[in-house]
Amino acid sequence: MMALLKKKNKEIVLERSYAAPVETVWKAWTEADRLSKWWGPEKTKVTDCEVDLRIGGRLYVVTEATEEMGKYAGTRWPMEGTFTRIEPTSGLTYDARSWQEGDEEGTMIHHTNDVTLTSEGDKTHVRLHVTITQIGPKAKLAAFGMKWGYKSQLDALEEVLAS
Amino acid sequence: MFSALGEPGRLRIVELLRRRPHAVGEIVERLGMRQPQVSKHLKVLAQAGLVRVQPRARHRIYHLEATAFEEMRDWVDSFEELWETRLDSLGRYLVEQEEEEKEP
Repeated sequence: MMALLKKKNKEIVLERSYAAPVETVWKAWTEADRLSKWWGPEKTKVTDCEVDLRIGGRLYVVTEATEEMGKYAGTRWPMEGTFTRIEPTSGLTYDARSWQEGDEEGTMIHHTNDVTLTSEGDKTHVRLHVTITQIGPKAKLAAFGMKWGYKSQLDALEEVLAS
Repeated sequence: MFSALGEPGRLRIVELLRRRPHAVGEIVERLGMRQPQVSKHLKVLAQAGLVRVQPRARHRIYHLEATAFEEMRDWVDSFEELWETRLDSLGRYLVEQEEEEKEP
């Protein structure tokens, strides 16, 4: 199953246009206090955020499930990356690992993130290219399990393939 | 990382069934595995809802259970959804930033 994914890296390309100058968007991506304000999806909070903005520097963000997430409350999802390209206000690239705390091996996702910012007057176009290169057997949780419903079946699958 | 595939025999069966349904005998023949071994793997895969069996004449034909595989794809999509959500959140943050700057 994992091998099916391994054969072809999963590529995600998302593009957005924001009504903000490119400098503001760049800061939102590269300054820890700003990044931590938008990084976590709903029902989560960012508890740790470090951005060492230089080639080889570390990007580390921990998102934690709040009480609103019910039984997942307190679950922590770290993301640790290394910058491989930094071109102020036009783009950056980082290789990263995301996982769920407590089951690093099982939930690990390896991904490369390429962010390109293009100034369009007072607007900014953002192109995000994520390449998922490896996915742990339970990585769906690291993706915040937005579709919790299929969890049990996949758990069964993992048990089968691992046993 | 792909430790989940610690049992390569089962993966080979899954790969074979991806092409088309096969009878147990065919699986044995094509993969060069022993019949009891194949039966054991199929039983486990069936219990997990990954394959289903359809008796035809004297044969037992095994199919992949499509929904299980669609769900597998779904969770990869959930990573994309996470990013969609996050970019929406960035948009809201940027609007707030702009508003704060406008305030005297």
